[in-house]
Amino acid sequence: MSVLKIYPEKCTGCLRCELACSYMQTGEFQPAKSVIRVSPFEGHTSYAPYTCTQCAEGWCMTACPVGAITIGAVGAKDVLDDTCVGCKLCTIACPYGTMFYDPDTRKAFKCNLCGGAPACAEACPTAAITYEDVATADWLGDFARERTARVLVGVS
Amino acid sequence: MATRHLIIGGGTAGINAIRTLREEESERSEITLVSAEKPYSRMVLPYYLDRSIAESHVYTATARVLADWGVKAHLGRRAAALDVKGNVCTLEDGTKVEYDDCLIATGSSPVKAPVPGADGRAVHSFWTLDEAQAVVAELTPGSHVVMVGAGFIAFTILNSILALGAKLTIVEVAPRILPRMIDDTGARLVEAWLKKHGVAIRTGVKLTKIADVKGRKQLKFASGADIVCDLVIMATGITTNLDWLKGSGVRVNHGVVVDDRQRSSVPNVYAAGDIAEGRDRVTGEPAVHAIEPTAQEHGRVAGANMAGKDVRYRGSLLINIVEVCHLDVASFGAWDDATAETATGLKADRPAYRKLLWRGDRLTGAIILGPSQDIWTTNDVGMLKGLVQSGVSLARWKAHLKKNPFDVKNAFIASKTTHTLLPETILGRPSKAPGDTPVAV
Ligand SMILES: Cc1cc2nc3c(=O)[nH]c(=O)nc-3n(C[C@H](O)[C@H](O)[C@H](O)COP(=O)(O)OP(=O)(O)OC[C@H]3O[C@@H](n4cnc5c(N)ncnc54)[C@H](O)[C@@H]3O)c2cc1C
Ligand code: SF4
Ligand code: SF4
Repeated sequence: MSVLKIYPEKCTGCLRCELACSYMQTGEFQPAKSVIRVSPFEGHTSYAPYTCTQCAEGWCMTACPVGAITIGAVGAKDVLDDTCVGCKLCTIACPYGTMFYDPDTRKAFKCNLCGGAPACAEACPTAAITYEDVATADWLGDFARERTARVLVGVS
Repeated sequence: MATRHLIIGGGTAGINAIRTLREEESERSEITLVSAEKPYSRMVLPYYLDRSIAESHVYTATARVLADWGVKAHLGRRAAALDVKGNVCTLEDGTKVEYDDCLIATGSSPVKAPVPGADGRAVHSFWTLDEAQAVVAELTPGSHVVMVGAGFIAFTILNSILALGAKLTIVEVAPRILPRMIDDTGARLVEAWLKKHGVAIRTGVKLTKIADVKGRKQLKFASGADIVCDLVIMATGITTNLDWLKGSGVRVNHGVVVDDRQRSSVPNVYAAGDIAEGRDRVTGEPAVHAIEPTAQEHGRVAGANMAGKDVRYRGSLLINIVEVCHLDVASFGAWDDATAETATGLKADRPAYRKLLWRGDRLTGAIILGPSQDIWTTNDVGMLKGLVQSGVSLARWKAHLKKNPFDVKNAFIASKTTHTLLPETILGRPSKAPGDTPVAV
């Protein structure tokens, strides 16, 4: 399946992915409801977008007590709004911190790869986010380790 | 002859085992389910109570679905005895069910405070669908509800009671609320928050009697004033449903003792969920984790092994989250380990609170409290689970987190936690979607 591959060194922190994502998912430009989130590193000198890995276990999906999370046509785990009761179990079951809860709708929400045409990848002006047929991986770990080294100087 | 699997108890653990059996088996087996209740999820009962879902929504497998899966179901019937030498389970009505292997998944039952009047009118536990229906029928807007007990289960229904327009008083015998879910500091914050939202709380009070007075309920305590109300909900604890296994020879401690394949002391008898005492992933010690995710994982591991696969379980992680009046309260792993190294952070105005616990440079437990609309709380909730679950070495991030317990994300990402977590699956393969269970042909 295709997944969102992140090239963190290309990210400039422009936040267009967050805007595009929230618009696609909710119909409004409200970054608070984006399921891709740009993280600052080293006191805002580096940035990288972070989102659901579509992990093989799908901890969110297996935890849901009512089967409200399923696997969509393009292989992404997706929340069925009509079935979700808003119990939040998926938000603590996902060990990556990429399940969200919308207090307005009282439903969980997450990255569903926009059904195969991810808005974030389209919106990114530097191609820091691409939609590729590769195995999912830890795209940010090495980058973050390097970019945070200075923060940790002085910390023993 | 097809293998005969017997599943006893059709709750979360039992139904997950059945689905996994069908997913994993190489040859079609015979599956029999014996369950005192129809299969449903207890943890969605609070949403049935506040009427945001219909009763039909709580069921995890309807008669139709069970038939599709090829399950012979005895619903509304109880197992009364297990003969592990003859491989026979006897039901309360005398029916005998033979098996080649069986799963004990009979869960737990609520325990009411042992006071006169506890069995009277308008006094209910909130554990089963029947009890939920009774409360739904009796709870009307403006009525005064007294919740006896301030544990996790009480808190899962608190929002629903308030949403229905009832007045709520919580009474707790312990000196503080949520004694088994969060620490003192967290409990104080939650208590203040609830009082601010109009919930009356009395801690350290011992209920001695419930009487009927002019059509209302009167609660008497060892000290302090009486309370008069319309409805009493008893959330005073649960007990593991082990009684029917007495004399069976299956080894029992706090629960049915199981190995890393969910197998009991009897090789063809498995146990899963609230009833099972398996490995705690963080401490490595045997524990009963009476929570939904444990029931689900136990059930799947048992199902896979019963289907002939060799699936080993790494142990269950204690995780709990509850939202009260738009405040998220969550705890993970060994959050109450008195000998662990700890760091705390408090922002009293928000309110937001963190407690992180370490063994060496591994995060072994956490408590997190924060406003639900604060999206960063949600992010951190998951990442703290990931740090505890993966047990990644935090190295120098430990000192950073000790100073900045609110800066979880950088620590999570830079410790390459994602890299450690990604290969892990419960069954050694990608999970199937809930609707993808193979059906009978
Ligand atoms: C109101 C409420 C809210 C909850 N909220 C949460 C939450 O937010 N998070 C969380 O993690 N957990 C929560 N829980 C706990 C969770 O529901 C349980 O941990 C889970 O249901 C355990 O699953 P189980 O399969 O082990 O047992 P159960 O789901 O209890 O299923 C046991 C089944 O066995 C049947 N049975 C019992 N005795 C017999 C017998 N002798 N013969 C045949 N059948 C029998 C029962 O009728 C039942 O069908 C909540 C529970 C309640 C009641
Ligand atoms: S939300 Fe979390 S658990 Fe669910 S598929 Fe994505 S990474 Fe996995
Ligand atoms: S919040 Fe919704 S999707 Fe998440 S576990 Fe609960 S019911 Fe399932």
